[in-house]
Amino acid sequence: MALLALLATLPWWAGDLYQLHLAALIAAYWILVAGLNLVVGFTGQLSIGHVGLLAVGAYAFAILAGRYEWSPWIALAASGGIGGVCGLLLGLPSLRLPGFYFAMATMAFALIIAELSLALGNLTGGGVGLSVPSFPVPFDTPAGFYLLLLGIAILITWLTWNVARFPWGQALIAIRDNPVAAESVGVPVFRLKLAVFVLSGITAGLAGALFASLQSYITPDTFVFELGLFFFVCIIIGGRGSILGPLLGTAILTALPELVAPLAKLGNLFYGLLLLAVVLLVPEGIGRLFEIWFARLRPKQPASHILQPDTARLAAAIRNGHQP
Amino acid sequence: MFAVLVTGLAIGALYAATALAYNVMYSTSKVLSVTTGHLAMLGGVFGAWFVTSLGWHPLFALPAVLVAGAFAGWLTDVIAIRRVLKRSDEHLWLLSTLALATILQQAVGLWWGTEPKPFPRLLPQDFSAGMADQKYWLPIITTLLMAAALELFYRRTLYGKLFIAMSEDTFAARARGIETDRIRAASFAIAGALGALAGFAAGQLTFAFFALGLTLTLNGFIALAVGGLGSNIGALVGGAALGLLNAFSANLIGGEYQNTVSVGALILILLLKPEGLFGARNVRPV
Repeated sequence: MALLALLATLPWWAGDLYQLHLAALIAAYWILVAGLNLVVGFTGQLSIGHVGLLAVGAYAFAILAGRYEWSPWIALAASGGIGGVCGLLLGLPSLRLPGFYFAMATMAFALIIAELSLALGNLTGGGVGLSVPSFPVPFDTPAGFYLLLLGIAILITWLTWNVARFPWGQALIAIRDNPVAAESVGVPVFRLKLAVFVLSGITAGLAGALFASLQSYITPDTFVFELGLFFFVCIIIGGRGSILGPLLGTAILTALPELVAPLAKLGNLFYGLLLLAVVLLVPEGIGRLFEIWFARLRPKQPASHILQPDTARLAAAIRNGHQP
Repeated sequence: MFAVLVTGLAIGALYAATALAYNVMYSTSKVLSVTTGHLAMLGGVFGAWFVTSLGWHPLFALPAVLVAGAFAGWLTDVIAIRRVLKRSDEHLWLLSTLALATILQQAVGLWWGTEPKPFPRLLPQDFSAGMADQKYWLPIITTLLMAAALELFYRRTLYGKLFIAMSEDTFAARARGIETDRIRAASFAIAGALGALAGFAAGQLTFAFFALGLTLTLNGFIALAVGGLGSNIGALVGGAALGLLNAFSANLIGGEYQNTVSVGALILILLLKPEGLFGARNVRPV
């Protein structure tokens, strides 16, 4: 709660506009990562190409709201819908494939979207790019837009938290840990995978629209493949099967290269090193590491109780049969 | 039309060579490494560095490139595979090789630069040969030689037979006293050398470019999946088919749809014949 209040009042105490922009960027990324987390962290489908869906949402918003001058709200909803449809089209063939094949299919999807955004120049502006309109009053200022992003991010977090909390989430984890066993106890494996993937497509479309509006100008170079890798790394580093972990991962990984200048020069090399370190040392993710530390810090439960047998009652029970 | 055919076969040979490297690693570890394409990229970049920057004769650069590739392959095993395979988590190797591939690509990008740089001539030949130029036939010949050498290696040498034994059943091989860890490391080194050799031979076609690895990882994998996982003949056929498809589609509908066409073909093949053209049918684990 205190954290929420802190986040909500950020525009009034943030040092400068750049920090506010960074916070808004984290929120936009998180909207995508929250949906992707259900796919990667819970269902265990390693999608490394969600940047393609982000690009689809961004271009849909830029074209609908910019060129056809739709209301940004309707365009935002449409971007989410288009993201969901693309998720469905991508998921239908690829979710049937085993692990590495699926990862390659999503990577190929990201490359295809990058290719199409360059090739379909009269729709997307080609290499020149498109300018993206901002949202109407009161969301046209940096502070207002940040609050809008924060609101949507909280909504999405709450949504995914609900999915994870209820038997749905358990079924997803079952699919991740053992698909054959999950199927044998009646989990509709493919349908659930597809539903979660479409949901992640919708959040990616929404995130793309908001991200595009935040950046105010998009080109195919905005959506490099490494950005998809970045989302993926956020989740793995944060820890699979958790929501707080990836949230922290997104916030830290977005902010760190901006605040520590030498890391920005290393860029994606830094993400690669981080991913390798996490996979080799703590495959459960940093979030799990925190849990272990917290468990250590907490006062220990009393180790043992000495049980005194109630001999009188025992003797009586033996004498009278089983009456108490 | 003949030009398109030759270009397609040449680039297809590079894809096929990448698929062969995939196969060598897959046979001993059942791992499909994301770094496979990057091994070929290293071959191209190191080749250009040795010959152009350091001024070595191509004949000396070739063994140096092979050693560098073998070292990179061996490093893949040591860093990303060895510890991960000991855990039972199924897809951890995907993450670790992906991380290593990113590190390799970005490190080369920082060191070598992000612009494609020209690759030197390997053989003395002037530029008037047209379609008989070395940049077309060099990768094709190299890949065919590689496939033949692998086949001889598997059939005629003891080490090759150990590879086959491990690809059939690693546990049984280990129970028979085969040092599976060492064989696996050797297979990764061989795959690294093969990948680097392919990148070296095709360097004049692709240029020395740091981002080539990811494209090759994807296209080599498509060639492999189309031809059938584990089959070397399949890798050759798949690579050639993919290269021809790319070249002809670039000629007919434009080069900007290259990935779209090849992935479309992959999905079509996987829907019709999931095990690939020459692959063994997979039994589902229960």
